[in-house]
Amino acid sequence: MHYEKDFLRQLHSELLKARMLEQKMVEIYAQGIVPGHIHSGMGQEASYVGVLATRKPGDYFKLGHRPLGIFHILGEPLDAFFGELLAKTTGNAGGRGGANHLGRFEDGVVGFSGTLGADAGVSVGAALTIAAEKRDNVSYFFYGDGTASRGPVHEAMCLASAWKLPVLFICDDNQFAISTPRQFSSAIENPGAGRAAGYGMPSKVVDGTDILAVYEAARELTKYIREGNGPAVIECKDYRWRGHFEGDQCPYRDAEVTEKYMAEKDGLKLFEAKLLADGVLTEAGIAELTESFEREMSAAVENAVAAPEMKPEEIFDNLYV
Amino acid sequence: MKVTYAKAIGDALKEEMRRDEKVLIFGEDVAEFGNIFGITRGMLEEFGAARVRNTPIAETAMVGAAIGAAETGLRPVLELMYSDFALVPFTEIFHCVAKWRYMHGPAYRLPLVIRNASGSSNGAGPEHSNCVESLFMHAPGLTIVTPSCPYDAKGLLKAAIRSDNPVLFCEPKLLYQTKQEIPDDVYNSDYVIPLGLADVKREGTDVTLIAVGLMVPRALAAAEELAKDGISVEVIDPRTLAPLDKDTIYNSIRKTHRAAIVEESNKTAGIGAELAALFQEELYDELDGPIARIAALDVPVAYNIAMEHYSIPDAAKICTVIRGML
Repeated sequence: MHYEKDFLRQLHSELLKARMLEQKMVEIYAQGIVPGHIHSGMGQEASYVGVLATRKPGDYFKLGHRPLGIFHILGEPLDAFFGELLAKTTGNAGGRGGANHLGRFEDGVVGFSGTLGADAGVSVGAALTIAAEKRDNVSYFFYGDGTASRGPVHEAMCLASAWKLPVLFICDDNQFAISTPRQFSSAIENPGAGRAAGYGMPSKVVDGTDILAVYEAARELTKYIREGNGPAVIECKDYRWRGHFEGDQCPYRDAEVTEKYMAEKDGLKLFEAKLLADGVLTEAGIAELTESFEREMSAAVENAVAAPEMKPEEIFDNLYV
Repeated sequence: MKVTYAKAIGDALKEEMRRDEKVLIFGEDVAEFGNIFGITRGMLEEFGAARVRNTPIAETAMVGAAIGAAETGLRPVLELMYSDFALVPFTEIFHCVAKWRYMHGPAYRLPLVIRNASGSSNGAGPEHSNCVESLFMHAPGLTIVTPSCPYDAKGLLKAAIRSDNPVLFCEPKLLYQTKQEIPDDVYNSDYVIPLGLADVKREGTDVTLIAVGLMVPRALAAAEELAKDGISVEVIDPRTLAPLDKDTIYNSIRKTHRAAIVEESNKTAGIGAELAALFQEELYDELDGPIARIAALDVPVAYNIAMEHYSIPDAAKICTVIRGML
């Protein structure tokens, strides 16, 4: 498949920023300035950036609790992003939602439920609006191999297929639900794609660390969906590099396997190597992009640290508005 | 004209769907079948399959879909059939519907209504006879409405559909076939009853009786009976249980200095428990005696109809309790 260089550079820029945001969150969490928890999605970014390369204006997105950097990729300014993470009034919900509830409605982000999977129907409802308005948009629902076990996800698949709505279910199999390996929870190898047939949906399984493979699979499925054929499932296979939360020492898995994934299946490094070899990027170009985004992130973190916190008299704001 | 509660609900739905093309209904058996109580009959024919949608039995996805549709521009009215089934998507209602606007920010509007047929209905049994208001009163962000008569049912449902906040709308099943005389010009006037406003259903001076849903007609019957003995009962219907119209209720208690609450659901941790706690916290000096809670016995609603009736307050039970307060 032939790609325009600008497209590849854009894809790389998003992938690099997503990775850098994951690293920055780990860094500021270690500094003790994040009041809640961070669930790092390092190593999984290519699954998200690759799928979302198929997006267009008017689409809707239900992301996951990792990797959070994707909310910025979809448009949330860094000040609002870090503001919410640090529970400041500059955050998208003024510090009421926190790390799990980043993103802006104007970017098509439909929200997130901290009870994983309870929001699966929300993506179906957003798709209902798309159908009612006869648009060729897609409602993207990202979930994990752990959440794949939840009833609301199955009900959402059932409803989306019964109503033939434009939903793309993206199962990101990072192989662990907190400490529980996917092999324990799922009797089949692909807890997303493997169940699609039960709801009459087409599906694809793809290496989530190969961003172009992810994009190509998602492109085919979103084309099918945009043409009005109903929902579909894509399953991206990757690996959660870090613990469930920061501080999780991962005693439940083999550290050597983790190191091997990090060394051999780094979606960012693999993509950069390809683009350098093809002459699309230069080392200097990557360094320049890295430095400039590092400055942007650092400034946003500084702003968030300095930003005010919600006052007691504001605690009821947003309730019964 | 004589209007039934069921017709008032159906007319409110139709009028709002004619008024605003963004309004749509979905739920189990609402299309061809016209819902199990016949309330949505004829709507599929008038509004078409895109706006009157049957669903699979998938309550969690249905509630989620109402959220997703509402925030992206539609005004869904979801029907969950029996209120008992609202416990299947308890997470989706308690966490998502109620908290979504708060935790995501003001840009997330939620103009959605969740309708459910509530309470006992002569032999429906333990899992088809429950009232769920008090369970959901514990979820800040949710508006909870239970109308007690056809006039209120129509005006409140229209207000709920026009609200940008999510509304849990409870319809006592035993009220569906009750009739009320309403002048034609009033009934057809596109009237709306504001959410969060209680109604004084009968004025009185000796006791304030707060009655919810099915208990309102029973409270009024009790008040009529007690009046024969010179006992003057003021009956207040909160109509909206959350947020609660404290002003109307408190003004009444400041006048009568006695308060009782009657509800169809179990006594423990019920609506009466919450209101009684509120009154003693905020109106202690106004009260001349203990607050009475009149509620269903703390037992599942039995299939045996005589036992169903025995366990749920009626006018005689209300009269006994009120007499004991004076």
